[in-house]
Amino acid sequence: MSMKTSTLPKPYHQAVRAWQDEYLPDFDFLLENWEKHFPTEPKFELCAYRQMGMCTEIECGEMKGKPKFTHAAEMLPEQAHHLFAAIRAQASTEFGSIQQHRLTLARAQEEEEQFWILRMMAEELRHGYQMLHLLVEDDWSVVSQESRSDLVEGILSMNTGSHLLGAFNIDFDSFIDNVVFCGLVDRVGKYQLSMQKVSAYQPMAESMPQMLREEAFHLAAGVVPMRRWVTAAAKGGTFVTMADLQKAFNKWIPRALEMFGDERGGGTNVRFGLKPMKNSQAQAQYRDEVEKLVRDLNLRYLRALDESLSPSAAEALLERLLREGGSSEGSGGTIRAEDLLRLPSSDYFRRRGVPAFRLVGAGGETFSDVASYLQHLVRTLPDAYRASRDFKDYVELLTAVHDGRLKIEEAASRMPSLRRVGGACACSKAVRWVVDEPQPAQPAAS
Amino acid sequence: MSEPAQEVTIRPLDELDISAVVGIDEKISGQYRPEVWERRIGYHLRRDPDSCVVAEAAGKVVGFMLGEIRSGEFGLDEPTGWIEVLGVDPGARGRSVGRRMALAMLDYFRTRGAHSVRTLVDEDRDELSGFFSSLGFQPASLKPFVLSL
Repeated sequence: MSMKTSTLPKPYHQAVRAWQDEYLPDFDFLLENWEKHFPTEPKFELCAYRQMGMCTEIECGEMKGKPKFTHAAEMLPEQAHHLFAAIRAQASTEFGSIQQHRLTLARAQEEEEQFWILRMMAEELRHGYQMLHLLVEDDWSVVSQESRSDLVEGILSMNTGSHLLGAFNIDFDSFIDNVVFCGLVDRVGKYQLSMQKVSAYQPMAESMPQMLREEAFHLAAGVVPMRRWVTAAAKGGTFVTMADLQKAFNKWIPRALEMFGDERGGGTNVRFGLKPMKNSQAQAQYRDEVEKLVRDLNLRYLRALDESLSPSAAEALLERLLREGGSSEGSGGTIRAEDLLRLPSSDYFRRRGVPAFRLVGAGGETFSDVASYLQHLVRTLPDAYRASRDFKDYVELLTAVHDGRLKIEEAASRMPSLRRVGGACACSKAVRWVVDEPQPAQPAAS
Repeated sequence: MSEPAQEVTIRPLDELDISAVVGIDEKISGQYRPEVWERRIGYHLRRDPDSCVVAEAAGKVVGFMLGEIRSGEFGLDEPTGWIEVLGVDPGARGRSVGRRMALAMLDYFRTRGAHSVRTLVDEDRDELSGFFSSLGFQPASLKPFVLSL
């Protein structure tokens, strides 16, 4: 098993470096302090890695057993179109997450956790670079009339608000978001990368192993701090409470579920051999994993609150509190069911997919009117997030849907519209994508 | 009744295995040390997640083995696989769990270009010495030294 390393042609490489200067200004600081925080670990390199010796036959779908494609031009046009969209979306998420993380990186209370996130950001930059490499190395004229420069420009010009997936258009409000995002949203990334590891397009499949290795750490950079936070919360710490974490989970899990795509879709990708699972299958597995994470955090919390609890006693107490509610007296104080974390309902606070704009609460309860549902959201979402543009947009669409002014499908498909105007990216002919102002809602009957 | 050994599967360790590893360590050592394993597993996931494995039976983690490939240490210039720690749930012993994990790690070390695998075992741990001997490990010329501070 060997790894092939390559870099983008100079103009594109420089464009990524210019992007890095803008959105990851602490990059050099990370490298300068690498030995302090990651001694004995290989230093970061901005390059594309391809793993050699992988399976060369299509592993799923209608073409299973046939040789994998090495060029987009060999693929069916629709197949290449789906793949192209997936690469662009993947690239968008990688660069988009850095733009989100940078907002609150400096607010970390622990230097170690801050450096973990900073390293993770650098690796996300590399992942974006890897996706650009796929776009630049091949000829995509079968699905796109854009030049290589324009493709790179289009992706590097996206900003929070204009990315292709909703989770990457939401501002972070505190370092809690940095950490919870890693634990929840990067977990979706792990699923996408794992599925793309069997892609019928060989360069995509070969790009995944190193990205997955790096993603394993990104998940740890979320889960380990969360485990520490619940321990501190149990011992009376007031920096990050269980309620803070629950609200952050409520903010991100709905967006994470939507990243898998509509629950009814994904069959085309499977048929074309681009992914081995439909959207709903992957989403269900993801939800099981997050359920396990929530359970682990609760057990960590209980055993920190009452150090005399044995593992089996902690499990029994957790089951009882979740089932019956109430409280229990422990050696470290009162253990209350309401302080435990809970995985919000799959239908809660959704704007895409099957449950889009349903009035379903975090606990799965239903609401009969928008006003009472919004009051529920007030209680269950982070305060700072409710003051955001993203939440305002959601409330407007929800209201329009339930007033009958907008069909659910129309509301669900509302995404930032982009148009090209003059711009200044180091790699291209000065074109830029920007966010258009949202169009007024159309009457549902039209 | 214990399950048959063939139902044990090996997979790479991930961050959601921390609790299971803590639990196995607690059963073996009698100590609850989540902080130790959070740090240690965090290190390995950062460095090379594929060089650590867990054994699962009936969806439950029953063993773990952590290692890595290093070079340049102790005068060993070539990439060398190191098995650093292993643990098997006492209730799952006798089912070749450790052996399966070790074989998976040896395979991985080979694919990464390592020509040898090393580990350190306390002389008093006959069970561990026997385990590694059964895998073909032999005493090496490197001698550990220690200085109390």
